[in-house]
Amino acid sequence: MDKSKNTKPPQAFLRFFRWYCHPKLRNSIEGDLTELYHERILESGKKKADLRFAIDVLLLFRRGIIKPTEGYHSLNTYAMFKSYFKIGWRNLIKQKMFSAIKIGGFSLGIAACILIGLFIWDELSYDKYYPDANRIYRVLGVYNDNGQLQKGVHFQPPFAKAMLEDYAEIEKVGRYNNVELFGAANAEIRRADQDENLYEESITYFDQDLLDIFKLPFVYGNPSLALSKANSLVMTRSKAEKYFPHENPLGKMLIINDDKEHPYSVGGVIEDFPATSHLRFDFLLTLTGKEFWQGEQTSWCCSNYPTYVMLKPGVDYKELERKMTKGVLEKYIIPMMLKEGRTDAYEMVKKAHLELQPVNEIHLYSDGVQDGLAHGDIKFVWLFASVAGFILIIACINFINLSTAKSANRAREVGLRKVVGSLRSNLVNQFLAESLLYSVLSFVIGLMLASLLLPYFNILASKSLVLPLGYWWFVPGIFGASLIVGFFAGIYPSFYLSSFRPIQVLKGNLSLGSKSSSLRSALVVFQFTISIILIVGTFIIYRQMGYIINRKLGFEKDHVIYLEGTHMLGDKKIKTFKEELLKLSMVKSVSIGDYLPVQGTKRNGNQFFVEGKSKVEKPTSGQFWRVDHDYIKTMGMKMASGRDFDVKMASDSDAVVINQEMARKLGLKEAVGARIENYRGWNVIGVVEDFNFESLKQNIGPMAMVLGISPTIISIKLSAANTQHAIASITGLWKEFAPNQPVRFSFLDQSYARMYDDVQRMGKIFTSFALFAIIVACLGLFALSAFMVEQRAREIGIRIVLGASLKNIVRLLTQNFLKLVIISFLLAAPTAWYVMSIWLQDFVYRADVTWDIFALAGVLSMMIALGTVSYQAIRAALASPVTSLRSE
Amino acid sequence: MKKYQLGEFEEVVMLTVGVLYDNAYGVSIKKEIEERLSRNVSVGALQTALRRLEDKGYLKSRDGEATEERAGRPKKYFQITALGKRAMEYTKTTREELWNSIPKVALNLKFASI
Repeated sequence: MDKSKNTKPPQAFLRFFRWYCHPKLRNSIEGDLTELYHERILESGKKKADLRFAIDVLLLFRRGIIKPTEGYHSLNTYAMFKSYFKIGWRNLIKQKMFSAIKIGGFSLGIAACILIGLFIWDELSYDKYYPDANRIYRVLGVYNDNGQLQKGVHFQPPFAKAMLEDYAEIEKVGRYNNVELFGAANAEIRRADQDENLYEESITYFDQDLLDIFKLPFVYGNPSLALSKANSLVMTRSKAEKYFPHENPLGKMLIINDDKEHPYSVGGVIEDFPATSHLRFDFLLTLTGKEFWQGEQTSWCCSNYPTYVMLKPGVDYKELERKMTKGVLEKYIIPMMLKEGRTDAYEMVKKAHLELQPVNEIHLYSDGVQDGLAHGDIKFVWLFASVAGFILIIACINFINLSTAKSANRAREVGLRKVVGSLRSNLVNQFLAESLLYSVLSFVIGLMLASLLLPYFNILASKSLVLPLGYWWFVPGIFGASLIVGFFAGIYPSFYLSSFRPIQVLKGNLSLGSKSSSLRSALVVFQFTISIILIVGTFIIYRQMGYIINRKLGFEKDHVIYLEGTHMLGDKKIKTFKEELLKLSMVKSVSIGDYLPVQGTKRNGNQFFVEGKSKVEKPTSGQFWRVDHDYIKTMGMKMASGRDFDVKMASDSDAVVINQEMARKLGLKEAVGARIENYRGWNVIGVVEDFNFESLKQNIGPMAMVLGISPTIISIKLSAANTQHAIASITGLWKEFAPNQPVRFSFLDQSYARMYDDVQRMGKIFTSFALFAIIVACLGLFALSAFMVEQRAREIGIRIVLGASLKNIVRLLTQNFLKLVIISFLLAAPTAWYVMSIWLQDFVYRADVTWDIFALAGVLSMMIALGTVSYQAIRAALASPVTSLRSE
Repeated sequence: MKKYQLGEFEEVVMLTVGVLYDNAYGVSIKKEIEERLSRNVSVGALQTALRRLEDKGYLKSRDGEATEERAGRPKKYFQITALGKRAMEYTKTTREELWNSIPKVALNLKFASI
């Protein structure tokens, strides 16, 4: 017996039992078990007793013995926290209107933040997916022309190879070329065994080395050989499914632009480029063995190739930049320029340098880089981030204002809690817990709102964002954010509320809720300042948009449609087609020419001189367009002096029409009759008034037009009436000429409007979020005025009894708020003016920022505030005084 | 109608508590049942039954003395309540009524058929 007392039952099982057992039963059952254990040791030895003990413990693990998972905590603080949430919940239920506004405003703000957050996240996630993204750089050529930076990405064909040979730091260099002149960008494509062409828009020439640099994920084919053979191409998965459904397209043939002599074989299929890639192509045609003209690949004359480098690990790219600038310019560029006879070569080169741009900065930091790609802008990321921040702040302010305003209702509770022994820290905890309750609720609702609004936001922002619910960090992240926001929104109210002195509140002589009214006013001013800035911003964006779209352009964009892909007809047939078109009654004039004054049509760069001065003067770079006799007429351009091309004048084949900017840049006062030089001399027969052919963000550049054939586009000027009918007859005519070839229509005015899509989109997004902010601010104002009316109910009752009119009462209640709005306006107007003039600096052609925008915004905000407040005021004024006075 | 719910094992436990009268706690109940009915009783089954009976109000418990062999843990003594007594009586009478209503023939036949 003595021995048995000292042996202990297996501790692991005992601990397990103690852990799961209901605390009320723990002692007595443990006693039973121990008693049995000792008896069993005597009966059958320790081993058996241990085993039986273990079995008993395991068999005790059942319902009725196990402690409940919740609701039984012996630590006092948990119970207190439970009570905080309970009281918080009861308060929430009791004051439905205020709670609804608190939570509603909060969740609106949070929904807006989530949407903007997704947008920003998407913008920031560009080009992160290449395995070696941190070693890949794009080469930029920067030319500093008296402070005006020109950044280009296009380099000469041998540039890539030269760099690889000259610099040991570089592991690989790759190029692409999507210049239309070379037959890239868009083309008609068909399978070698079919007749019907399909139009494709994202085609580029691509180096095998560039594939190696990006390591694009392959579906079919060998990534390191896919483009290594001449006349091979790589296509994306979706295009492969379009051309070769349910087939492995490896080795299959495609014919591009009807060039049956040189079919391309499919060397590989890659996954589609993700939406977050700065490059997005469907077809990559190999550059292996490709030479666009004799000696092109070795010539340093022409820059057409965006070039990317992959550095060896651990190389300082800034250092390499400096080395490259010096080396490349001295070794290649200067000799080339001297060979061309440029005497100012050294001077020119001084102004130029090379830069390496990290690949994942291309999307957001390419402002001013002429690379023909659609970019985001870090400025917009910041703009949106600040709008999101402001909306959240406005929502938090609502929360603070309403909590402190409604303190009257809580003061007695605070007093009583203090009297029965609550510390201030307990009360702070309590109110923080309440604010967390609100915040978490709002986040849940906000998240639901955001997922409801996401499809509309995607249309608005032309993105395809999804809530990242699949990521492990999302839910904890959102929850954490809700705790942080709840903490910050609740910290001031909780200190304020917990500061009441119990004697004063219980005696009832604290003028409740009015104590911090000056702070509340300041916060309301802040809210409205931001709202008014957003309103003004929206107005200015819209005015600028309207200004751009309706500006006098120098050409007439209405009633012009253009057909693309017409070069398939061939040079002869196209002329017949033009004549047939002119026979249609609604067609006013027809012009064959690829160069239209909207973005996305053909462009080039050329250098012009006054004849004979090409070795002496700096070149004027400008556009050199080949058009036909009817171009100027069809586009509705005006001649400033001289004449248009004339069919009857055979000598017009040497003639050139320039724009006013070209005349100015070349310093020609009397342009007509002068001779200018491109690669040969031209007679200037006329000067056309400047017209916009680039975005209105840029200046009109110099340009010249000569007669020539560029057959990809036919533009048709229609008489005003009945475009539908016209399109039907034109399509009919096209079918006769090219039965296998789908026809593509565009309207010049629509293409023009599309140039400003990004501005328009930003305008819309900005408007919607401005609206969000204003709604949230108004919700706060609404609740605040309701509170004020409630507080002054007795005063109002007495005033009514004494004969105050409806007008008196409404004025009494609204004038305070009006004052606040006026102060906000005074603060907001200069700020908005400053911020928006920075934004407008992006545009060369700016709408004026006039006083009426501010007046309108001021009046509008005043009306919104008045409307919000006066609802409560009128309700108070119309209420029967009996109800408010009866209680005394 | 189930006026008093009492399962078979519960009934045995109640009866044993009654038998032990003043000395009914976990270990003694277990031993008594094992001895009298010669069947094994696990601590788990017994404790859950006791808990259930206590919840139904058929048993009440009080904490007793702590002895050395129990490593200082108190015993929990059980006692039948008035409600518990009624429940036991109800079970007994229903059984008896059922016994009495069995026709003699049926019993004989049954025996005969075996």
